[in-house]
Amino acid sequence: MEGNGGNGGRVYVGNLDKSAKRAKQLVMGKLRMGKAVDWATAFSLWPVHLTTSCCGCEFAATWSPRFDAEQHGALPWVGARQTNMILIEGTVTKKMACAVRVTWEQMPSPKFAIAMGACAIDGGIFYNSYNIVRPWEIIPVDVYIPGCPPRPEAVARAIIELQRKIRKQRVASKWIEEGWRPDREYVKPKEDPCSWWRG
Amino acid sequence: MSLDQARRIVEEALSGIEYRVDEGKGFIEFIVAKENLVEAASRLKKAGFDHVKSLTVVDYKAEDKFKIVYHASSYLNEDLAKVIVGIGTEVPRSNPKVPTLVYVWRSVEFQEREVFEFFGIEFEDHPDLRLLLLAPQVAEKKPLRKDFIVKEEPIIRTKPPTG
Repeated sequence: MEGNGGNGGRVYVGNLDKSAKRAKQLVMGKLRMGKAVDWATAFSLWPVHLTTSCCGCEFAATWSPRFDAEQHGALPWVGARQTNMILIEGTVTKKMACAVRVTWEQMPSPKFAIAMGACAIDGGIFYNSYNIVRPWEIIPVDVYIPGCPPRPEAVARAIIELQRKIRKQRVASKWIEEGWRPDREYVKPKEDPCSWWRG
Repeated sequence: MSLDQARRIVEEALSGIEYRVDEGKGFIEFIVAKENLVEAASRLKKAGFDHVKSLTVVDYKAEDKFKIVYHASSYLNEDLAKVIVGIGTEVPRSNPKVPTLVYVWRSVEFQEREVFEFFGIEFEDHPDLRLLLLAPQVAEKKPLRKDFIVKEEPIIRTKPPTG
């Protein structure tokens, strides 16, 4: 077909889903890029800026020059659509659960979650409160960090632990191959966290 | 200025209004009838108490009443800035309606909204009485009332969190 510019450019027309599937098979199968995908994902874990609670101060300290978590390839980023990690900082209130879930659904896969602080594990000082939810009821959590609040070193350790998990279990490449990560179930909140907002 | 001197100033300002004094170590509260609350508050403002530091509610379940206390102090008057006095009223638990003090002290607007969602106390003529912090299904339980009881969760979970 004659294209613009006179050099005989070509326009390919076809089924996009089919082409994407074939490209995936080529990259993951014949070219064996799976390891590279895992390696690249492990060293570009970008947490989204979603400060749910007070552990956000330690989150800030972790990326400050003294502790410098950017050396692990993690860079906090503002837009949910450009990130692949969510770091739940502390307790999640019922209203914040909606924001967490909406942010999680906006992020492109493969995506990972770290829950930080005692509140994120089982409520912490807000145990038995009427206004909290556990993060693992909202999104699938990979690594938990205990502490109230955890030290920045602990946060850096959690990032390294997540990197190890991704590279050893080959989570990212299998995720791309199979459409959802193979090692765990899809977490769907039992009740809609945004019901207060939808009315 | 000591609390005794502040007390004399407030008593002078409240002359003609019936009040009761609740007193303790380091604090003093003047409890007036619901109808006189706005009048008493505006007289306190004229006496120099130009803002409210906090608004608090005590739920006396056995006596079937709420005590609502506004803690007033001053920014502009340096003597009065050293003391905080409480001005408040009591309402029955069955009909918790209080006239708003937004038009006297502007700083109570958000605090009244917070009291509204946590205790279910309605402030009449409040310009913007909406929920402030809580989700509606939590706020309708009125969580800071004494008869709201949180269901106790077991310490040991039968099913551990996945992950």
